[in-house]
Parts: sequence; structure tokens; C-alpha cells
Amino acid sequence: MIRSVLVLGASGFIGRRVLRTLAAADDLIPLAAGRRVAARTEDGIEALRLEDGDTAALSAALARVQAVVDCRAAPPEEMRRGNAALFHAAQAAGRPLVVQLSSMAVYGNAVGRVDETAPLSEEQGPYAAAKLEGERLAAAYGRAVILRPGCVYGPGGTQWSLRIARLLKARRLGDLGAAGDGIANLVHVDDVAQAVAAALRNSLAEGQAFNLAMAGAPTWNDYLMAFAQALGHVPVRRLSARRVRLESKLLAPPLKILEMAAARLGGGAWAPPLIPPSLARLFCQEIRLVSGKSEDLLGQSWMPLDEGLAETAAWCRAQGA
Amino acid sequence: MILDANDLPDGTPQEADLCIVGAGAVGIAMALDLLDSGLRVLLLESGGVAPEAGSQALYAGTVADPALHSPLDTYRERRFGGSTTLWGGRSMPFDPIDFEARDYIAHSGWPIAFADLAPYYPRANRIAEAGAYAYRADQAFTRPLAPMIEGFASADLSTDTLERFSCPTDFGRRYRHKLEAAPDFRLLLHANVTGIALAADGGSVDHLQVATLAGRRFPVRARHVVLAAGGLENARLLLASRDVHPAGVGNGEDLVGRYYMCHMAGTIGALRFTRPVWHGYDIADDGTYCRRRIALIPEAQRRLRVGNVIARLHHPRIIDPAHRNGVLSMLYLARMFIPYEYAKRLDGEVRLDLPTQARHLWNVLADMPGTAAFMWHLLRDRRLAERKFPSIIIRSKANLYSLDVHGEQEPNPDSRLTLCGDIDALGMPRLKADWRHTRQDIASIAAMLEVLARDVAASGVGTFTYDPDSVAHEMTRYGAYGGHHIGTTRMAASPRQGVVDAQCTVHGLANLHLAGSSVFPTSGQANPTLTAVALGLRLADHLKTLAARPPVSVSTS
Ligand SMILES: Cc1cc2nc3c(=O)[nH]c(=O)nc-3n(C[C@H](O)[C@H](O)[C@H](O)COP(=O)(O)OP(=O)(O)OC[C@H]3O[C@@H](n4cnc5c(N)ncnc54)[C@H](O)[C@@H]3O)c2cc1C
Repeated sequence: MIRSVLVLGASGFIGRRVLRTLAAADDLIPLAAGRRVAARTEDGIEALRLEDGDTAALSAALARVQAVVDCRAAPPEEMRRGNAALFHAAQAAGRPLVVQLSSMAVYGNAVGRVDETAPLSEEQGPYAAAKLEGERLAAAYGRAVILRPGCVYGPGGTQWSLRIARLLKARRLGDLGAAGDGIANLVHVDDVAQAVAAALRNSLAEGQAFNLAMAGAPTWNDYLMAFAQALGHVPVRRLSARRVRLESKLLAPPLKILEMAAARLGGGAWAPPLIPPSLARLFCQEIRLVSGKSEDLLGQSWMPLDEGLAETAAWCRAQGA
Repeated sequence: MILDANDLPDGTPQEADLCIVGAGAVGIAMALDLLDSGLRVLLLESGGVAPEAGSQALYAGTVADPALHSPLDTYRERRFGGSTTLWGGRSMPFDPIDFEARDYIAHSGWPIAFADLAPYYPRANRIAEAGAYAYRADQAFTRPLAPMIEGFASADLSTDTLERFSCPTDFGRRYRHKLEAAPDFRLLLHANVTGIALAADGGSVDHLQVATLAGRRFPVRARHVVLAAGGLENARLLLASRDVHPAGVGNGEDLVGRYYMCHMAGTIGALRFTRPVWHGYDIADDGTYCRRRIALIPEAQRRLRVGNVIARLHHPRIIDPAHRNGVLSMLYLARMFIPYEYAKRLDGEVRLDLPTQARHLWNVLADMPGTAAFMWHLLRDRRLAERKFPSIIIRSKANLYSLDVHGEQEPNPDSRLTLCGDIDALGMPRLKADWRHTRQDIASIAAMLEVLARDVAASGVGTFTYDPDSVAHEMTRYGAYGGHHIGTTRMAASPRQGVVDAQCTVHGLANLHLAGSSVFPTSGQANPTLTAVALGLRLADHLKTLAARPPVSVSTS
């Protein structure tokens, strides 16, 4: 029976929710860790400040727990280093169970119904490759549960919530026609946190991978429409295929440079959101993540989309989107 | 997967569980619906992805009266996407009353009710990209809309129903990627069905004869066949397949090709309002253009014993420069740049004398800023937009409009398609269209106009003046409304009254099904495509269960 759990990346979008869910459970005691945590979180949970590369502190933290949930978000190179350090330290610290947040990106450009037995691929680039390498390390380590969420949305989410909301507000996303026929394999951040808790409690989960995407996930067009409606950014605009192509191919690269420059200057929030080619590709990828295994084994249920969007939209509006 | 029939070996039979003939609105919608069914589906399309004169010429035929019906190779497109490569996108469901048997409309009544079709409309709207299935202003809009005609009140007319518009979506362009990617599915381009070969007992389809213009010929065998070749061509295929039944397939009762309906349509009268009116478009949350119209409500239709009629506020007649509107004059002068199908009802065929043309030119010059602003609107919202502003809307400074009427046609067995004796390049007999209307068709519109004139005056919002004696003339000025080909293989419970049954299966031919407006027993006031698609989706549902069954094998030991 697992009781004490270290949550890495505890101040991030997913980490915060995982932490809160674990803290609310009677049977689990979380210990928060991250680059930006104080000694105690605002909910009174014990927290450790953990700098990247501080392997000694990581080992010490791991020695105190029976499981670790890795919610760190990082660029590919940093992710690789972080994964290597984690599994190395865990090996030395009594081999706690590792719950790893991978990604649906490991399925590459697959289409159709995709369950956990589908072939994995690095074809979607460095991010997917780093996630895949993490999964390999987890398999070699032996005591791990791999969660492969689709697009995690919810209050606090930047990538699939705030960024999309800003683009909807600017009418740079909307009805994409054929370019939006792909499936938005959404999963609410609370559902991810539930899955983490269930994986910690269920010994049968060890050694398994689980897809996490809501049942009956909408198409991107439907998601954008529903989100725009929840945000009040209607009527949505029909964007021509020409425009989406132009934006992702021509506009995105210079905007990306701008964004990086802004981030370096400590700003970033003012930088315009962009539609990189990878996102445009995802919008038309007709991949349906099959998550029946998590329903069966982890007892997973899904937040209804309208409920999740209402809450998300309220948060995005408060951020000015 | 998408293939070209010219790349297949000559004479090699092609097989499938289900074969759909025609990749237009209905064939494509059905194919999309069947992609996950587990059935091997083969979609046969005559044309290619671009227009081709050779394929289009296969549509040519003759018409009994050129003043009443446009040539048969116009107002329909023989290519991937079918006539949705040209359509206007007005996407309307039928009204419940349209399905009823009404003793004042001869041969009316469907063997199904509105409720049987209703479940399929939302998906039809979705495929047509016509937004939500919501056709009343209060359902479609959460924000309050300005009334269409302020102060107008009528017990017989409603101004709350909506027209919704598709992009207009070219089904071929829009869904090509899905058809290309689908497993268990093949679309064959340049594959013309030239005949339906029946089994010797005449009770089922044995195979379809397919030919390409480049000379390939091969049979297609499928457990079930759906004809979705359009409202005229479905009838032609049945009439032209005469090897077992001399009158053609499904034509034992001489019904195929009869009851041919389009719609009655025309512009009439002068509406002068003293109160504000809004006759333009409102944009729904989903981005679709919606427009309110004046509709004769069902209770009034029953009381007056007339068919279904609607009308829209329209700009004054373009051809007459007295409107002094730069935009309208510009449209008149630019008519040669407008496709035939759309120019026709702009009076594009009337030639004006030079002084009148000069007055049009003067209108344009005198209204330069207005005309320029309009050009910019056309460029931005129509030419460059993927969801196009559906039609020309002119705000009249004088609050003066004409009335654009669209009305139901009564089914009439003498309005009909026959084979004309000529053959096309593939040896298939060509069609002759003898379109007719009935006295009731005109009477229905006349009654609606009378009610409108009465209620506009009674509500004190203005006047509607028109010449009651000109109704018949105005409603047939351009002949049958183009592009709506209805009723030629009508649906009825009994084989004596219809070609197909309530499931769209040809009476007496268990594996031949028809999809499209040809099966509508009545025409309603609505443009046909949305209903044709909904009916096709209903048929697809039926076929999923029907075709999934293993073929019955009778053992005779
Ligand atoms: C100018 C215009 C404006 C219109 N506007 C509207 C509107 O606003 N609203 C509305 O509801 N409707 C409108 N329509 C009508 C609409 O286009 C048709 O109702 C609709 O396209 C019918 O769909 P369908 O699939 O039955 O036939 P089609 O779209 O005509 O498709 C039939 C397909 O079958 C193929 N085919 C034909 N014969 C054969 C054969 N022997 N073998 C193989 N393939 C074959 C053709 O190439 C074609 O692709 C308009 C039509 C026109 C011309």
C-alpha cells in the first residue's frame, strides 16, 4: 500500500491539481517538490524546493516516499536530463513506484482508433522523442505506471486552454473546415489527477500504460466552437484553409522568435499566441485515443465537456482572454 | 481510397458490399456515414475532380419548352461533388405539413412523417456546414434580434422562421481527405453507370454496367446498390435500363419520370414600408448566415387550401434603371461575368437599348462611394471568404422592396421526364424534360400575396401593391426554378403509387435503393438538398443493418 507520494513539478498546471487531489485523499500523503515552491504550499502541504540537477536533494526526497509522480513540464532536452536523473536517483533510493506523465505524441501520426497496444513513434519530433525515451527508461526501471494523456485542459492550463482562448478571441481560430476535422483528445486536468491517484492505489496498474482522453472526444472544430461559446467569443469565424496554412507556415516562425525573445526579457505574456505547424497538423489528425483500459482498470470517469469548458472559460476570461 | 476508373483493367468486375452511384451531396454524405460501418463501399462518380466538358455533355438532353425549363446540362454539374460545386447553399428542412396528405393538393402525402426524418436533419446540417439545426429565430439566437418588419402582425404569416446557409460547401472538396484516407472504401472517378442489369427474374440487381469516356467497360457487383445520381439522372438510369423490363427498372406502373417538380419562383410587386425593416442576414454563433422570411403558416395553408409558400424582401428589379441604385446597375452591367445559373434571374437574358444601358452606367457613376463599398464587401465577404455572404442585400433608402416568392408545386403526373430518342457518347438514351405547373401552384402564391397585402395594410406598416393578374406571368417568367429536381421516382407505400417504398427501396427490387430529391412525393417550399441528405442518411442507417446480414443461401438438398 502506497501512502507517501512525492509530486515533482508541483507548482505546474497538472502538478498543482495532482497535489490537491492527493492531499484531499485520506489514504495518501503528498510531498510537493518543484523549482518554485515554498516550504509549504498555500494548502499547507509540505514542500521541497528542488533545483534542476540537484541530484542529492532529489535522492533525499525520493528516500522519504513510496511513490513519485512526475508532473514536470520541460523542453525536450531538459526533459531527457530530468528523466535520466529521476530514474537514476530512484534506483538508488529504494525503487519507489514512478507515475510518469507521457503524451499521446508517442503515437506519432497515427489515425483511427488508437489504444495502448498501438506502435509508438518519434515521428512528431523532439518532444515526442523525449517522451518516448522517458517511457523506455520507465520500462527499464521496472516499477512504473505510464499515463498518456491527450490534450490536458482546465483552469490554469496554458497550452490547450489559455492559448486557444486568446486565439479564439482574436478570431485567429474558429471554424477550420477540413483543417479542423481531427479529434481533440481532451482530458480535463482533474481527470488526470484522478487517474494518478487511482494508479497509486491500484497495484495492477504497475507496469502498464494508460491512454487518457475523454470518451466521445469532439472534433477540433466542435471543441473550438464550444469553447468560443463558453468564452462568449462568438460568432466564430470560418477560417480558410489558405489562412490556416499561411499562419502556421509563414507567420508562426517569426512569431516564435518574438516569443522566445520576450521570454528571455522576462515578459512573454504580451507575445502573440501562435499556431505552429505542429498544431495545425494536430487539428486535422483524425486520431481517436481509446481510453477504455483506464476506465476498466483505474475506474476512470470523465468530466463532461460543457462543465469543464465553463470552468475553464471563466478562468481564461479572468486572464483577459 | 480514391481511384480513377481508367486505371482499372478493362472488363474486370469490381465488387463491394454496397455500391453508391454518384458523388454529389447525397452520395458523399451517405459514404461518410458508412465509413465506419464495416461494409466495403464503392462510390462510382462519372466526373473527375475538375470540370470536364466530356462528362458534362453526358447530361445534355432536350426540353419541351425552352422558355419553361433550362437546358439539361445547365443547373447541374457532372463531376466529383456534383451540383454542390455550383449550389447556393440555402439549407432548409421540410415542414411537418409537407409530409401530410392534403386533400387540396393532388397526390400529396408521404409514407413517412416529419418525425421519421427529424433525427437525421442535425447531421445533415453538420455535413452541409449549415450550422445548428435551429430554424426559428428564437432557437437559433440567444441575443434579441431586431424584428424583420417592425410593427407587422399577422395571424397567417410568420416572420420568425429562418433560412440558414451552407458555406456553400462543395462536398467533394470538403470531404475528399476523409474519402481518401478511409479503409474499406473506394471512390472511382470517371466511372459512368450506363445501365442497371437485373437478374433474369427481374427481382434484383445483378450488376451495374460501367463505362469510361476513354473506353473502359466493366461490371460492378454489389449486394446493395444506391442510385444517388441526382433528381433527373436517377430517373434516367431506371428508364434507360430496359433489358428485362421493357418500360425500365421499377417502372411497372409507368411512374418513373412523372410528377416532376421544381419550385415556383419569381419576384413581384412593391413593398413600401413606413417602419424599420431588417431584410438582411444575421450571423449565428456558429458563424452561419441566417435570414428571416415571410412564411404562410400551416394553419393558414389548411384554411385557405393552398400549398406551402414563403417570400423574402428583395431589391427592386435590376433591369429597370429607375431604381437609381449604383450597385444594382453595376450587377446588370456585369452580368456577363456572372455564371449563367445565377445571371438568369437577374434578367441576364434581356437586352436593353443603349439609352437605358447609359442610365445604368450613370447610376453607377452617381453612386460611386456606395458602389465601391459594395465591391469591397463582395470581395472580402464573398470572393475571398470560405463562408460566403449568401446573396446581394441592398438597403433601400426609400424602404422600398420587391417580393421574392418561393412556392410549392403540386405533384402532376403530366409533368414528366422521358427518354428523347437520342443517345449520349456512351450510348445511353438522353432525357427530355416536359415540366409543367398546375393552377393550384399559382393559386397558392396568389393567396399568400393577398394575405400579405391585407396584413401589411392592416398593421399600418406600409403597403404592398402588385398586379394580381400578373402572378402567373411573374412566377413563370424564368420558367421552372433551376437546380431543384424533385419527384421523378416518388416514394409511396404502394407500388401502384410510387417507385420506392418508405425506406427508399425500389418496389419489387430488394437490393436497389434510390437517394436524392427524386424520391420526394411533394416539393414543399424548401430547397431540396438538406432533406435529400437527411433522407440519404436515413437510408444509410437502414443499409447498415440490411447489408450487414450475410447473404441468404438457400440449400436445396
Ligand atoms: C445554381 C444552383 C443553385 C442551387 N442552390 C441550392 C440551394 O441554395 N439549396 C439547395 O438545397 N439546393 C440548391 N441547389 C440544388 C443542389 O445542388 C442539389 O439539390 C444537390 O446537389 C443534389 O444532390 P445529389 O447528390 O442528389 O445530386 P448531385 O449533386 O447532382 O450529384 C449527382 C452526382 O452523380 C454523378 N452522376 C450522375 N450520373 C451518373 C452516372 N450515370 N454514373 C455515375 N455518376 C453519375 C454526377 O456526376 C454527380 O456528381 C442548387 C443547384 C444549382 C445548380
